[in-house]
Amino acid sequence: MSYYLLLSALLFAIGLYGVLSRRTAILIFMSIELMLNAANLAFVTFARNSGNLEGQAMALVVIALAAAEVAVGLGIIVAVFRARSSTSVDDLAELRG
Amino acid sequence: MSAFDLIAGVLLVASALAAVTLRNAVHAGLALVGNFLVLAMVYFALEAQFLGWIQIIVYAGAVMVLFLFVIMLLFDAKADPGLDPLPWMRPVGAALAAVFFLVLAYAFSRLGPVNPLADVKLAGGLPGPVGELLYGRWLYAVLLIAVLLFAATVAAVVLVQPGVRGARKKPQVAERERELEEVGR
Repeated sequence: MSYYLLLSALLFAIGLYGVLSRRTAILIFMSIELMLNAANLAFVTFARNSGNLEGQAMALVVIALAAAEVAVGLGIIVAVFRARSSTSVDDLAELRG
Repeated sequence: MSAFDLIAGVLLVASALAAVTLRNAVHAGLALVGNFLVLAMVYFALEAQFLGWIQIIVYAGAVMVLFLFVIMLLFDAKADPGLDPLPWMRPVGAALAAVFFLVLAYAFSRLGPVNPLADVKLAGGLPGPVGELLYGRWLYAVLLIAVLLFAATVAAVVLVQPGVRGARKKPQVAERERELEEVGR
């Protein structure tokens, strides 16, 4: 098994721990970015192991998707902060805005 | 495994752990910037030069600046917002993440030996070969991403527009309603 695949699994698990243990929306969001990057590392490692560039193309697509996700996600966080004066996910237990 | 692999692995894991455990959100964000920069170096080592530069520009640059900007804008640097209603969540989360890592490592270990394609070469992952692929077979994916980025930009602008609560009336509509009200009186 490739060393970088193992590293990618470890980074993904660390990001998962961050999502489960963090308590403010921004920090959970940052942990999700960590998980996306771990997936990207796996794609690039696969591309390297198989000599196929498509893995790198997929990683570029993921980076573009992550940019769009960050724009919308941070917009939502700012809007929630305006309405609630808090981004703690413990306080955001209602669907009603 | 070379010394580079070892150092990069240690740095990646350490900065990732710092990003998910530090008490100050700004410090966690800076640790994540470090993680992304080391990851870009790993991309360079894995023959993905274009992707490495994109990682530095888009992730370590644009995305993390946006994150740090929002953290500072919202005065949300404190990672611990008071009393924890679920104090057992941290060890449970750690255990779940460990189990997930073991499952993922097992799945990766079951991968058969890859046979490299003889005709396709990585060519260092330079923009030329990657661009041929992106604007060839991946063209529709790239077009869809363009649409998505545009939609996301519009959504972000609408979401953070100041002073919008519910439906906003156009000035002409408001004026017309005022006129109708006066006539009615």
